[in-house]
Amino acid sequence: MAASTVMKGWPVARLDTMSRESSADGPRDSRRALVVVPGEDLGVSEGYEAGHGVLVVDGRLRSTKQGRMNTKGSTVSVEPLHTTYMPRPGDLVIGHIEGCTNNIWFVDIGAPFNSILPMSLGPAKVEFGGTRKILDIGDSILCRVQEVEETHQSVVTMKGLGLRKIKSGALDEVDPHLLGRLIGKGGNFLRDLKLESECRIVVAENGRLWIDGDLDGIFKVRNCLKELSLEARQVGGVN
Amino acid sequence: MGGYGDVQMIDDDGLRMDGRKPGDVRPITIETGVVPVADGSCRMTWGTNEAIVAVYGPMEAHPRKIQRQDRAVLDVTYNMAPFSTTDRMRPGFNRRSREISKVTADALESVVLLELYPRSKIRISIEIVSAEAGTRCVGLTAASVALADAGIPMTDLVVSVASGKINDVVVCDLNKEEDNYGEADLPMGVLPNSGELVFLQMDGDLSPDEFKQAWDYNMDAAMEVHKLMVDALKGGEN
Amino acid sequence: MAAPLVPKLLRAHLSDLASNDARLDDRGQWDGRETKLEIGVLPRAEGSARVTMGNTIVLAGVKFQIMTPYPDRPNQGGLMCSCEVRSIAGRHWENGPPSPQSIELGRVVDRGIRESGCIDVDDLCIIPGEKAWQVILDLHAISDDGNLFDAFALAGIAALRNATIPAERFEIGEDTPLKVSKTPIMCSYHKVGGRFVYDASYREELGGDERIHITLGDDDHVHSLQKGLKGIFTADEFAEIMEHAKSRCSELRDMVNG
Repeated sequence: MAASTVMKGWPVARLDTMSRESSADGPRDSRRALVVVPGEDLGVSEGYEAGHGVLVVDGRLRSTKQGRMNTKGSTVSVEPLHTTYMPRPGDLVIGHIEGCTNNIWFVDIGAPFNSILPMSLGPAKVEFGGTRKILDIGDSILCRVQEVEETHQSVVTMKGLGLRKIKSGALDEVDPHLLGRLIGKGGNFLRDLKLESECRIVVAENGRLWIDGDLDGIFKVRNCLKELSLEARQVGGVN
Repeated sequence: MGGYGDVQMIDDDGLRMDGRKPGDVRPITIETGVVPVADGSCRMTWGTNEAIVAVYGPMEAHPRKIQRQDRAVLDVTYNMAPFSTTDRMRPGFNRRSREISKVTADALESVVLLELYPRSKIRISIEIVSAEAGTRCVGLTAASVALADAGIPMTDLVVSVASGKINDVVVCDLNKEEDNYGEADLPMGVLPNSGELVFLQMDGDLSPDEFKQAWDYNMDAAMEVHKLMVDALKGGEN
Repeated sequence: MAAPLVPKLLRAHLSDLASNDARLDDRGQWDGRETKLEIGVLPRAEGSARVTMGNTIVLAGVKFQIMTPYPDRPNQGGLMCSCEVRSIAGRHWENGPPSPQSIELGRVVDRGIRESGCIDVDDLCIIPGEKAWQVILDLHAISDDGNLFDAFALAGIAALRNATIPAERFEIGEDTPLKVSKTPIMCSYHKVGGRFVYDASYREELGGDERIHITLGDDDHVHSLQKGLKGIFTADEFAEIMEHAKSRCSELRDMVNG
């Protein structure tokens, strides 16, 4: 996984920084996993770094998201209860082709902006003007984010090991911040799920999953995803 | 604002028709996750006002001409359902709704960290399904809870409360009857953690002292409402 | 409404499921989602209902207005059914003038209720040729996870049965309950993966083909039919869904009359 990229001075939430339990033994230990809301004061900033979902305002840390507060080392961050996928270079994603021109495909990768897949990064050699013969509108692909500019122009590539058009199986979705739980510590949870369902499961970082196997297996995986999402939605209800 | 001073809205003990003291707010309930298909949502009842807000996004901004290269755009629509008022509200274009949509967007743009999502759009749909008085305040407050529920980063929640004047007495959070005979209305949008303002409107007639009183009522009420919003977002945890 | 992208994989998966007699959410071909009906939920409406079908949520509210009867029908009031699906209901719905989809929704629900004759328009007349009641049923979608048609129709008839004519407010006598003599119920069927299923979810609608809506009255009389979207179906398929509609409509009718 690529090193944590920084956007506008913001450490971005990544799967590896969104573990379910913080192993940090910081001085703020007692406040770990506290649910916070936007605008909430998280204490003085001196000696701490603002992580994901945290801002420094007038020498104090302030939450900008609803989520669980985490202290890892000297970094204070908020693990959100709901997120939208934000692409970063190197991410493995599942995309749908939503349009094309003579030499470019437009790919919906479930982000707030679509990506382009230039002909040169496509899965096969393409004649100019022959893009639809290779990947048609509505096709789903396994691809990797090549580049994201600050203004959110982004490029995906299909050059790489295992990157290809998806031709069988089913797709499903979970909120991207739940992927950490789905994979589990050291990939255990996902490995067990694969064994139990006898399915091939590819988890892409945009929260889309490719599940390939027989229908019973697909149902097993789907039920598991449903439970995971329900469990995560427990916080925040009626007052 | 008519100024019908002959209708008695406050009794000799200083209590209002519904039994509230001048600074009291109507009962409020807040619930999140009420629109299952949305990224974030909130239902807020405030007296017999009821607003349902859904937040979608950040998502791709269409058409392209509305995209901003340096930040996200907020697409706020405030709408009153046809059955939300005593006389049916005709659906369709409405200047009042447009104005409220705009000032709500202006208020929320001041807190949402838009620069994190260039070229995208965050859509906020405010539907008033039952209107009493002060629907713009309910809509704005519920919208900020829905944004938090959607995981949109913002520097603070926005709490909006209105105070007004009836029978020459300044009172907080006018209900329908009071609003009909009210002599002034001062809705404000407050950031509870700093006491700063992002939304302010006023109409009617207030003396400097009355204005100060209305302002103070709003500030106090905002802190009370903020506690309920925090409780709803934390879902009873902590 | 921006046409959402239909992944080919979804269509392939749906037909795979159909050939194994399965559905995306583990339901049987003729199973509906859990349906909840609440009445009297809107304080400003003269009659109201909220219907929850899985993740689909809709509201219906009844309002009354005074109208001048049409010259050719001086003894009759009016019934109007209007439907709005606004941007709150889903990512794919947009604000603006009513889309053809939401107009179709409103008109199909309207026909079912109107043609069943459940509201006697002669009863709504106050002064012949001068004054009559106009009943307005407004349908409002809150969350669209498929099959808004059935949810709207169910909420609509429940709201009408719950309505009170606000005569006191208009200073024409006493408030009386609106007379609703019948309970028309709509059942919708979508062709998903090559076969018809009842109560499709949004993803099934997205990856499916044509749909058929049937409104049945108290005595199983047919009051409205509508075929929507691109697709072809056979007489046998229609006979099969008609059989199911009869049993399902009576279940839902019991819920409304409850």
